[in-house]
Amino acid sequence: MIEQLIAGFGNALTVTNLLFIAAGITLGIVIGVIPGLGSVTALAVLIPITFYMSPLAAIAFLVGVNKGGTSGGAIPAILLNSPGTPEAAATALDGHPMAKRGESQRALKFALFSSVTGDTISDLLLIVLVVPFAAIALEFGPLEYTAVLLFAFALLSGISGDSPIKGLIAIAFGVFLSTVGLDPVDGSQRMVFDEVELYDGFPLFSLAVGSLAMASVLGQLFELWRARGEKRLSVEEYARIETRLPAREFFGHWKTIGRSALIGSGVGMLPGLGVTLAAFLSYGAARRASKEPQSFGRGNPQGIIATEAANSAVVGANLVPTIALGIPGNIAAALLIGAFIIHGIVPGPFMLTNHGELVYALFASMLMANGVHLVIGRIGIPLWARIARTPRAIILPPVLVMCIVGVYLPNQSIFGVGVMLAFACLGLAFQRLGFPIVCMVIGFLLGGMLENSVRQSLRLHQSDLTAFFGSPIALVFLALTLFVLLRALRRA
Amino acid sequence: MPHHPKSRLAVLAVGAAILPAFAAYGPAGPAVAADYPSKPITLVIPYRAGGSTETMGRIFSKALGKELGTKVIVRTRPGAGGAVGALEVSKKKPDGYTLLFAAAVSLLWHPLTRSVGFDLDSFTYIGQITNYQQALIARQDAPFNTMKELIAHAKTKRLNYADQGPMMRAFIDYIGTKEGVKWTGIPTKGGGEMVPFLLGGKVDFAWSGGIHQRFGGKMKVLLSFNSGRLAASPDVPSIQERYGVSMPSQAVIVGPKGMDAAVVAKVEGAIKKAVADKAFLDLLANKLRFPAKFTGHKALSAQIQEVIAGMKRVIAATKK
Repeated sequence: MIEQLIAGFGNALTVTNLLFIAAGITLGIVIGVIPGLGSVTALAVLIPITFYMSPLAAIAFLVGVNKGGTSGGAIPAILLNSPGTPEAAATALDGHPMAKRGESQRALKFALFSSVTGDTISDLLLIVLVVPFAAIALEFGPLEYTAVLLFAFALLSGISGDSPIKGLIAIAFGVFLSTVGLDPVDGSQRMVFDEVELYDGFPLFSLAVGSLAMASVLGQLFELWRARGEKRLSVEEYARIETRLPAREFFGHWKTIGRSALIGSGVGMLPGLGVTLAAFLSYGAARRASKEPQSFGRGNPQGIIATEAANSAVVGANLVPTIALGIPGNIAAALLIGAFIIHGIVPGPFMLTNHGELVYALFASMLMANGVHLVIGRIGIPLWARIARTPRAIILPPVLVMCIVGVYLPNQSIFGVGVMLAFACLGLAFQRLGFPIVCMVIGFLLGGMLENSVRQSLRLHQSDLTAFFGSPIALVFLALTLFVLLRALRRA
Repeated sequence: MPHHPKSRLAVLAVGAAILPAFAAYGPAGPAVAADYPSKPITLVIPYRAGGSTETMGRIFSKALGKELGTKVIVRTRPGAGGAVGALEVSKKKPDGYTLLFAAAVSLLWHPLTRSVGFDLDSFTYIGQITNYQQALIARQDAPFNTMKELIAHAKTKRLNYADQGPMMRAFIDYIGTKEGVKWTGIPTKGGGEMVPFLLGGKVDFAWSGGIHQRFGGKMKVLLSFNSGRLAASPDVPSIQERYGVSMPSQAVIVGPKGMDAAVVAKVEGAIKKAVADKAFLDLLANKLRFPAKFTGHKALSAQIQEVIAGMKRVIAATKK
């Protein structure tokens, strides 16, 4: 394996390749900064460009786009509290308070370094585990998915806001929203009123961008309006604020980094669970492990580390099912599969045997991309930080426009924009009432998966609930769920 | 859900205001047909970018543009299994400048089972370019090798299968009613979820839209759901031979209904030539492993009518 990897570096370490990686990462970050446009949109927009590249350059480019797009989302979340994707919402929880304290550069550095470290750990795991872990992923059936999702909900309820009850209510409301659309089993209409655009349910991007990014920006604009302008830190005050982040301080958080990278990798290896779940599981775990859980949400850098390390770790690990089984781990990986196929590489059990050389060159490119990512991201930080120094009254209105553009572009659907505006209002209402809107969005996102898994389990086992006792993995997760819930309720 | 009905109404109102503007123009006259195409053509693909249909459409649009002597611009409009894009195209002017490239099933299943805003006769079928390779598949080590053995096995114990939607379940249950066996369909979201279900032993057999071809020695084909046999498994019978019905398998290019006959003929001729394009054939043969298959306007329209009749029988027999 080491030999193959070295041969892979031999193939991948060319100037052209490095340039393509750098271009991919830069484009990915720039697209990721726009609320609503994450790595998925970046990939979808840029794949046609790769038709004209060699397979290796194309894949290196797309890997760069995927990495850049995933980490770019953290930038608006930290600076403007306008997360464009659900997973970036977890970054905003602690990142934005830090930025408000004037530590925006430090917050951005924490995000970038965690992203790159988490990514590297996950890439190494991918290289070592791609073959054996494919077998374990097959053990995960609907029962196990059901249990993991319930566990995620239990953890989530404790994450944001002060009251787990309010968290649970918001989650339940999100799950309820996820039931709009065609029934996944028999295709009958549920609350769609013959509106074809609603057959797939509410579009996720519209819902997320509306209730997370747009609601937050609108809220801030209202505040500004009421306060008639804002008090800004003067240039001298900025100069006094700490912007440095020594490596020793960062790696002092090695426990959180390692735990988050492992959670992200674990989630990434299971097809379908995705970046958001990883980010929130990891955030919840970091908060539970911390001696001062109440400092989370008030600008604790561990919150940023936990989220960014975990969601970037998903990117590498997601290729485990993609390469080993030909099953995409999430939409981004599905797009990568499409790109592989265009370039004559068929992902699946034969990819390693038929295209071994290319696969190892891909691994090498991924590791190289992490280095390039660090450099480009680091150059970008002072530039992005300028945004934090610009008056919010100037920065925020264009963000509103970007939200609308970001939601409209991928599917060119005015309906999606309408849904976004509605959820922006709902998000504002949630803010005022003290319900965590993030919980609603995640409830919506995971609700569809939960329904799918529950109904698959019921059909598979002829509605026999004792089937849970046949699956040790499911039992462990159910026990953990009960434990977390009871503890949270007792504390409340 | 206090907000969504309002937003829906608002969107409907906007839509209602815009649509007549498009509908006001009548069908294009012969003068327009003579210089067709005089501007770029939009080819709507009603699926997400990156799937096999979208990949195919992008390559094919280049060849089609070359034959027609104009640019063919691909636009994806995903949603509701293709119904959102299909609905949009059905409302466009039938002037040949907006076409749809889709799996025929996206144009048939929804209108047969519910109201979607377009009908079975909302489209002009211009040409087919390939067949999806739909099959009933099982793990290589399954204790049955043919359809007959599968049915014998199903009589000894209750089997589960992975489907990818109500239509697939209707067809497999139709086989069940004809053979007097009962089995349970487990809904899965696309091939990506079906494969681990099958390989992980959660289900006994499955419907596949062609993904099984990537798994060579790990899966076997027991039946073709197309009207004919599959290119890669010529020895395996088709559902048409056994049960007299078949699933729509055509990847088709259609326009809104009421297209001018001369325009249809022009596009049809271009499709016929473009199907022989080298880059397109290479993609089909070496990457997607679908056979190139051209069928023209007349023959295709007749085929679709036949498929519809079969689907109606299946729906009637499996309705609860």
